Amino acid sequence: MIDGVEKLKSELMTVNMGPQHPATHGVLRVELKTDSEVVAEAIPHLGYLHRCMEKHSENVDYRGVIPFVDRMDYLAAMNMELGYAMTIEKMLGTEVPKRAWYIRTIVAELQRVASHLMFFGTYALDLGAFSPFLYAFQDREKILRLFEEISGARLLYNYIWIGGVWNDINDDQLKRISAFCDEMEENMKKYNSLVGESSIFIGRTAHVAVMDQKTCLQHGATGPILRGSGFDWDLRKKQPYGIYKDLDFDVPVGTGEKGTLGDCWDRYDVRVREVFESLKILRQCLEGIEEGPIIGKVKKILKVPAGETYVRTECPRGELGYHLVSDGTDKPYRLKVKSSCFTHVSLLSAVGPGHLIADFVAAIGSIDIVLGEVDR
Amino acid sequence: MLKEIANYLNQNVQGCEAKAIDEVEVGDGHVWVKAEHIYDVCVALAQENPFDFNVLQVISGVDYPEKDKIEVNYMLASFTRNTDFILKTDLPRGDGQTLPKIQSVCDVWIAANFQERECFDMLGVEFEGHPDHRRILCPDDWEGHPLRKDYVVQEKYRDMVVDPPEKVNSHDHFFYKELLTKHDQKSVSHSWKDEKESKEQTSAES
Repeated sequence: MIDGVEKLKSELMTVNMGPQHPATHGVLRVELKTDSEVVAEAIPHLGYLHRCMEKHSENVDYRGVIPFVDRMDYLAAMNMELGYAMTIEKMLGTEVPKRAWYIRTIVAELQRVASHLMFFGTYALDLGAFSPFLYAFQDREKILRLFEEISGARLLYNYIWIGGVWNDINDDQLKRISAFCDEMEENMKKYNSLVGESSIFIGRTAHVAVMDQKTCLQHGATGPILRGSGFDWDLRKKQPYGIYKDLDFDVPVGTGEKGTLGDCWDRYDVRVREVFESLKILRQCLEGIEEGPIIGKVKKILKVPAGETYVRTECPRGELGYHLVSDGTDKPYRLKVKSSCFTHVSLLSAVGPGHLIADFVAAIGSIDIVLGEVDR
Repeated sequence: MLKEIANYLNQNVQGCEAKAIDEVEVGDGHVWVKAEHIYDVCVALAQENPFDFNVLQVISGVDYPEKDKIEVNYMLASFTRNTDFILKTDLPRGDGQTLPKIQSVCDVWIAANFQERECFDMLGVEFEGHPDHRRILCPDDWEGHPLRKDYVVQEKYRDMVVDPPEKVNSHDHFFYKELLTKHDQKSVSHSWKDEKESKEQTSAES
């Protein structure tokens, strides 16, 4: 909040930010009521990328839904698939082989690194620094190349299947992932000292768009936003799924080191430190991976017994939940996707007022929204 | 845990008739309450109590035309005690003109604001007392509620034909129809494996 804003109040002007605006990361429209340069009210308008995914998935069989969930959060498709596969496996009671879980964890954590690199690049770009974007994309490209080799696609994989994964990883690829981990750790340290420690960057992000714990919990925020406010909450630790309970890693939380607890810099810092934690997990997976089958026994024509379930997993952007209602046929009766970005957009109208328009851009960037997931 | 929650609700909210359904064959159980008391139930769950449900994660509506009801599911979680459960209620579907009504819980959790708007948009459930009650994903003047099972897409939207035949990819439809009629649904092609390997596989299967 700028000092003395109250005294300067004049007539409000309406500015439309988006739907086509580079800082809104897609087709988000924010209706801003501005008092000269200061935002007085921010109303997000969604739905420009609404593709009726939930309605579509009622008309295809259970395996056919996987490509749809890919396209929801296109920057973290592996994590979306993992959540969906876990939902169906919970209903079927399928046993997933150990090797499949290791491969799943490896690709999910690589995807988390790729997604956070995307955030790192675009966030710096939002704030006017161009070169971090290129550095981040260089490293992200290596991950995408690996994924292309493993799954056959660069962005939308259809790789994690119900019961396991569809393709095995060979030793050569594992070696290259291991080499990538070492390289990435060095690079990320460099990049962080370039951006996170820069006084211009700190000036743009510290004390800006402070989201305290109470606001976050009231709005249902999860993931790096909640952790950035100093609340220790990570589903991989709190309700471990798969092999996460055997792995040793820390959950980074915001410290308020450069400004107020829960400001943009804290959210940035949490994501950067999460990259290092993901690399830690990757190394343990590469050590512990064992030989064996990669897919469990699943019937060719999948019929899920009648019932309902709600399964949550930790995605790069926050918690992802699938509410599945089945009526015993081979198609879902209802599949509701709880997208974390959808919840996070509502935070904008809570934190926006009182900030300069330029700082509002920093606030949108720090939430790291993917419009594909918001509108579904 | 569900039984304890139901007991707690029955003690604290008069006439909500909470029922715990926890013996299910597959998936998760839930707690069912009467729709008229949903606001009081949510207040009771959010305030100081042994469960401390401080986060509303999502509101998910499900349409059942045969049973003439719409279920509204509230996924609640406690981030301090690390628990979660499904709170369920149901409403009659309405007669096409009037929409089913339920009280809004925006005062209890702000997260309900967007979630209730989505539920209204997709399933046509009106939330009384909502501060900003309008559609969220579809345009404001869209007709019908898409996630209802008997939804039919409107023919024209603002003088524009919805799904004009010349824009529909008829080749895809044709291909899919051929696939369903001519292709044996149960056979697996093994196209992703090597030729030699797939031959062995098919011979082993037969």
